[in-house]
Amino acid sequence: MTPNFDPYLAVGAVLFVLGAIGFVTRRNLIVMMLSAELMLHGVSLTLLAFGQIHNRMEGQTFTVFVLTIAACEAGLALAIILSLYQSKKSLDVSLWGDIREEDLPARALATEEEDHAAFEPAPLVFPGLTPAGRVPGIDMDAPLDGQLIPTVTKNDGKRFTYGEPEEAELTTKP
Amino acid sequence: MIGTVQTTVVIALVAAAAGLWFALPQRLHRWRMLSSFAATGALLWLVSLFEQPGSEIVSRTLFWLFSFGAVLCGVLMITSRDPVHGALWFAVATLAVCGLFMLLSAPFLAAATVIVYAGAIIVTFMFVIMLAQQSGVNAYDQRSKNPVAALFVSSLLLGALVMTLINWRGVGKPAGERPAIGVSTEAGVHALSVPTAAAPQGSLYALGRSLFGDYLFAVEIAGTVLLVATVGAIVMAPRRAQGNL
Repeated sequence: MTPNFDPYLAVGAVLFVLGAIGFVTRRNLIVMMLSAELMLHGVSLTLLAFGQIHNRMEGQTFTVFVLTIAACEAGLALAIILSLYQSKKSLDVSLWGDIREEDLPARALATEEEDHAAFEPAPLVFPGLTPAGRVPGIDMDAPLDGQLIPTVTKNDGKRFTYGEPEEAELTTKP
Repeated sequence: MIGTVQTTVVIALVAAAAGLWFALPQRLHRWRMLSSFAATGALLWLVSLFEQPGSEIVSRTLFWLFSFGAVLCGVLMITSRDPVHGALWFAVATLAVCGLFMLLSAPFLAAATVIVYAGAIIVTFMFVIMLAQQSGVNAYDQRSKNPVAALFVSSLLLGALVMTLINWRGVGKPAGERPAIGVSTEAGVHALSVPTAAAPQGSLYALGRSLFGDYLFAVEIAGTVLLVATVGAIVMAPRRAQGNL
């Protein structure tokens, strides 16, 4: 029985639509270009599957041309992205909304401040370390001022050391 | 029978759109992995409508492995907050797509795609990312534009594509009622592109015969396009005042 090549067409369609979603929704110029390359993958897969279904070589031949144009596109797009980055110092595509056609409605462009207001940074996760040494006896509920020992950096001519201040330093530097 | 297929398509599209909405960068950034897997599962459910019983088990397993990798890495690429991670997910998606190319008996194209994409394009993208984006996390990577409208329109697009394929191949109908594939076998029309016994489908000889026989002028034009693109990229790339990069 002949192999079934229909699922490849479906995967090609899915990859194409995923690339389209990425191209439309993402605001980073580089991620937009990567999404366009994902769309080209979907097209190549569809071409190859149709070539197999119809038992002709055109599918593979056209995929070679798709590959060529993808390479051209990547080179040109990266040159353009670098030029755009040089002039605005940002890869945000929303900053270029003012080069639209005159009669198109002005899209509400988020300013940098609004972006930062809406942007909740992901919580920073640091690697956990095994605690070593004595646990400092700090009462977290009480005010910290009286509990902390002030430390200063000292230089004895050879190297810097870090320790408790002398009495004289405490009086001169509160 | 067709009614159930249509219901399946609609349910899978809604599930995929919901998963992608949760996974896309926005204020709610928890459960990205979970919703990416859910969206991948819904999209592969769409693909599974086209399965026919009785296919070879090895090629079917490889197909599902590679298509799972391609779709999952595609989803993770378009939802990644870090463009470096996005580029790396794209490289893995390219490798999975090359596996599908091998299954479609195109080994030369699989090798060429690995070399061109994973070798050249990804490295160039990495150079640009490192050059242009040295300041860690950016706000514009954390927010997407109009995700609801984009997901709605692209669900319509995918639904139209899948329904066209379903109607064309008669998916859901019993095997006897499926339409036959129209194979164009007229002689004389690009006769060198028809695989023969000496040059079977998938061999490099057949590809070269078609490429440099029927499509020789297209090859020349493609070479010219490459040259023009190279010149254009050199002209457009920014340079410093000293004249060098």
